Amino acid sequence: MKELEKIQNISVASTLFILMVIIGLLTYKKPKNTFKLNTKTTLENITTGRFFVNQNNLDHPNYALIDIRSPYEFQKGHLKNAKNIYTPELLNDTHLDYFNSLKNQGKTAVLYGNNPEEANAPFLVLYQLGYNNLKLLKAEQHYFQNKLITTPVEVESSQADVAAFIKESVKNSDANAEINVISPIKKVITVQPKKKKHAEGGC
Amino acid sequence: MIKKQTAKILAFRYKILALILVILAGGLVLLPKYQKNEGIKPEQLLANAISLERYIATDQIAHKLINQDPSFILVDVREEASFKKYSLPNAINIPLKKILDAESGAFLNQNQFDVVFFSNDNFEADQAWMLCNRLDYKNLRVLKGGINSWFKTIINPPKPTEDMPEEAHNLYTARKAASMFFGVAYPDQVQTDPLEKTQTAPKQIITVKKKKKAAEGGC
Repeated sequence: MKELEKIQNISVASTLFILMVIIGLLTYKKPKNTFKLNTKTTLENITTGRFFVNQNNLDHPNYALIDIRSPYEFQKGHLKNAKNIYTPELLNDTHLDYFNSLKNQGKTAVLYGNNPEEANAPFLVLYQLGYNNLKLLKAEQHYFQNKLITTPVEVESSQADVAAFIKESVKNSDANAEINVISPIKKVITVQPKKKKHAEGGC
Repeated sequence: MIKKQTAKILAFRYKILALILVILAGGLVLLPKYQKNEGIKPEQLLANAISLERYIATDQIAHKLINQDPSFILVDVREEASFKKYSLPNAINIPLKKILDAESGAFLNQNQFDVVFFSNDNFEADQAWMLCNRLDYKNLRVLKGGINSWFKTIINPPKPTEDMPEEAHNLYTARKAASMFFGVAYPDQVQTDPLEKTQTAPKQIITVKKKKKAAEGGC
């Protein structure tokens, strides 16, 4: 009799367990958007790949221009044939459908903002979501007499040699005078590397 | 006999239970698809990226450096060559390519200091910020405009013309003083002859005339 009771308990427990798992599965909500690339691959791709389009090459039939500025700015002036997708609304269904359709058609979406830095964030979000048909426009937008002027711009170029400038200024001021450059006290930051966590889980 | 029969039925029940468990375990096959989905949600990342809170101005950084604020780390994400040429004082160099390495994680993934990324402008710094933000690292900032802006505002501030408001002049003096702290010398600020010879007062020569003594009288 004891044996039978034990067996009954076990079966009750396992039925409950299976029920819980099934409830968990049913209530599990699939996230709407999931990243397709992890950070390591993204980093590798963005540091090796080339993602810039020059303003002169925009006529290519394969390019679809996308303006990520606000609708207000878009109405003030925008590039020809551009579609306005404001950054905060980037992940709306309609916009994602548009990006999907571009991807299916084999077209390349060229993002632009007031400058390439502005378009960088939406670019990276979309890129990590798996849209690999993206480019950035290497240009800046200005207004001149109520007209939108687009000028090409270089990204991450060093505009001045700061070290040389400082040296030159010291030389110009007085060759003889000894100038005490007060350098801030070297701050020593010791950050202890975090211990690698053991792999969790597993039975 | 009865016992045997019940045992048989029970054994059958076990088989069914075991089968269901095995089927459920098959769900694990789906997991690798979600493994790539590390870090915060895309919606959250976009919301963080829109906020301009991450930007810190060059003037603020200059102020912090001069006051020797110990609460932040400057991280130069440019290549090593440009870092060696010139970088902000006390900056550490973690090129963008190495930003996710294990050694970099010790600097970036901690709660002790603010981390300020900078590059020539803020394009690469923003990229570093986006990736680290996705991994949910805390206290990340980006130097607005990077080294180029640093040069234009702090190292070589544009001199205001006389018709500009007082604030512009005050800002210029502050920036000029800051640039001197970072090693720039201005001809009008250098004391060429710091020790002026103090003029020694000419010695007055006082000649004391001896009074002729009157002849002492006799009687």
